[in-house]
Amino acid sequence: MVERSSIPLDGVFRALADPTRRAMLRTLAAGERPIGELAAPFRMSFAAASKHVRVLEGAGLVRRRVQGRRHLCRIQPATLAAADEWLHFYRRLWTEQLNRLDFLLQSEDSPNSNPPRKVPKR
Amino acid sequence: MNVARVTHHFNASPERVFDAWLDPKTAGKWLFATPTGQMVRVEIDARVGGRFVIVDRRNGEDVEHTGEYLEIDRPRRLVFTFGVPKYSPLFTKVTIEIEPAASGCDLTLTNEDVPVEYLASNEKGWSGILVGLAESLARHWAMAQCRDGGRS
Repeated sequence: MVERSSIPLDGVFRALADPTRRAMLRTLAAGERPIGELAAPFRMSFAAASKHVRVLEGAGLVRRRVQGRRHLCRIQPATLAAADEWLHFYRRLWTEQLNRLDFLLQSEDSPNSNPPRKVPKR
Repeated sequence: MNVARVTHHFNASPERVFDAWLDPKTAGKWLFATPTGQMVRVEIDARVGGRFVIVDRRNGEDVEHTGEYLEIDRPRRLVFTFGVPKYSPLFTKVTIEIEPAASGCDLTLTNEDVPVEYLASNEKGWSGILVGLAESLARHWAMAQCRDGGRS
């Protein structure tokens, strides 16, 4: 497993561990939104919402721009793509592992294998 | 939901396939091994609550795979947590089920908390991906925080 991107995924996963921030990201998936709108479903203050957005920003999941009095947030798809790639790892890993085990067991069975390997007993 | 599942047929008995996961000598030959890597450490404490540490050296870099056994029911079922600390603090849960077949056995491996559905439907766009990713990662995180949360 190689993290091809330089995006530090630990921060991404930590940011996503919070349900409020996940809900904010769901809202942002539909497009750019002001922080006030992100805070609305949670009846939280602008400051509290801003704190969550800062975590998302720190993880590279969101970018914020200030337009007049409004703080507009936008999702950063590249970071999600990196997390997505990381998750692909499991399928690939286990498919490879099971093929490898199969190959090992078959080679143990092969009469040509020298010396013949005993089946491990536990 | 949110499960990666891989199946494989083996022309070997369920016991033999099962033991290949827990016998250090056998596991060291294949489990988390890479074609160019070198297996430098295989420690398997094969009991419920016991841990495994398998280290493969790849281009001079040691990659440690570790986890804890949650269920050991030879030769049918093996459940363990699994993580690669070098790459992530997160642990997922792996369930291996082995069914006898006409010739050998069928193994089904389930790695929970991997959102396969959304990976397969990327065309839905980022909205769908986000929901799957976020919910999956929440569980990843919960498992990392509380390893025995998945024993239920």
